[in-house]
Amino acid sequence: MSVIKKILNMDQRIIYLGLFIALAFPILSPVIVPVVIQDYSTQAFNFAKAIPDGSYVLIEGGNAAATHPQCGPGLTANIYHLLTKNCKLVFFSITAEPAYWTQVEIDDAIAKLPASVAKEKGVNWVNLGYLSGGESGVAALAADIRSVVSKDHFGTPIGDLPMMKDINSAKDFAAVFWWGGSEGSIPYGIRQLVGPYNLPMSGSCTTNEVPNYSPYVSSGQLKGLFGGIRGSAEYELLLGVPGPALAQAMATNIGGLYFLGLVLLGNILYLVQRMRGEK
Amino acid sequence: MMDMVWLGLVVGSFVSIGAYTVLIGDNPVSKVTEHLYTGILAGYTLAINWDFIMKNAVGKVQGGQFDFILPIILSLMLFARLKPEWIWISRYPVALTVGVGMGLAMRASVLSDFVGQIQGTLLPINSINNIVMIVGTITATAYFLFTRENKGPYKYVNQTGLLFLLVAFGVTYGSTASFRFELVIGRLVDMLRPDVALYTYGFLALVAIILIYGYTTKKIPWYKSR
Repeated sequence: MSVIKKILNMDQRIIYLGLFIALAFPILSPVIVPVVIQDYSTQAFNFAKAIPDGSYVLIEGGNAAATHPQCGPGLTANIYHLLTKNCKLVFFSITAEPAYWTQVEIDDAIAKLPASVAKEKGVNWVNLGYLSGGESGVAALAADIRSVVSKDHFGTPIGDLPMMKDINSAKDFAAVFWWGGSEGSIPYGIRQLVGPYNLPMSGSCTTNEVPNYSPYVSSGQLKGLFGGIRGSAEYELLLGVPGPALAQAMATNIGGLYFLGLVLLGNILYLVQRMRGEK
Repeated sequence: MMDMVWLGLVVGSFVSIGAYTVLIGDNPVSKVTEHLYTGILAGYTLAINWDFIMKNAVGKVQGGQFDFILPIILSLMLFARLKPEWIWISRYPVALTVGVGMGLAMRASVLSDFVGQIQGTLLPINSINNIVMIVGTITATAYFLFTRENKGPYKYVNQTGLLFLLVAFGVTYGSTASFRFELVIGRLVDMLRPDVALYTYGFLALVAIILIYGYTTKKIPWYKSR
């Protein structure tokens, strides 16, 4: 068997091992390279920046264990950003696992905030926790929060939370941030909040879902979009609060280069093989 | 007192290594982690849903909102699926759920996914981006007109549409590969944290010993047939 054939028929486990090393190396020896900020991230950041101080903002937290490392830092930056603007935040999750991770991201943001920023539970933010029913649940929440949620994530009755005194429907919010992770749920928000209530909305999703939602940004139905680790890193950079996403974005770049190298190598060797008349 | 976050990271490191061993073939360690993950997730989902029902349905009935008895009864009807003769009972809540879901989605779909997208494409022809957007949308849509024969000027429209579709598939493929990297990176960041890394290396060595020992001695029953 020729060398070219051996390389082309290489055991895929060797490729996985190479990928593992390529991804682990930048984490063990971090190298920060300049990040070029994408238009979608700038639009989403500017949207958050333009929200009037003190407004009520609705946030769907959809990051699960798998997507928390990539989209979690972005949501943490978002919470940090909005709380420094004295916005009142209401969180909910439409799947079970993200209900826990959303609280982790809230805690991360609060730990980073300066002492001068108000961040009291029930006064500056409320986590309604898990909301059952998927898109129907979102529609019901938008129409009447108290009809679907009677207690928050910690079991406190909604009526006992000072921040919830004046709000009960989507009409009471100034903006929505939909951190959908890999739930594929951004269209729920567009259909049930943007359309019927004319609420401006920005989104975030994993990298693989960005092509699916970019038409919504082009049409103006989404005001911006943060995609995966890169989106989170860009938010941290735009906000001027460096976090874990920036270091991880570098590892993604190395992984991408490794992948690109393999694609190029495979194609070149395949062409050489064909030119030599080998099968 | 032991730091629970640290403990979670150490256990997570072991489970992740166990799950990644599937790359060298299905094995007892990967099976253990697979079942562990499925069990924990099922348990957690059950607990969260139970809590939701208790807070927002049973709690409301106890508080005097008796109209919440109806959804509770409908939910219980779903369990009729467990007995084949009673399956028909469970079809009513399923039909209601599907009907409500479809109705809600369709009500807004026309505006958001159809009208909104068409409006988003009605752009002034004053920049390269806009021209690409308009040409791409029209030709890619035209590619799916199967009632027209693919010849004459339409052939070029069709081929342009195909080109745009291939570019879109390429972008999706690249994004998916990147997403998979990000999943691994997320785990590696936790596994290689200075206070967890030593345990990660230890688990790697332990898993390697178990797999090599099992394969060479066949003392682990799972390996006997391999």
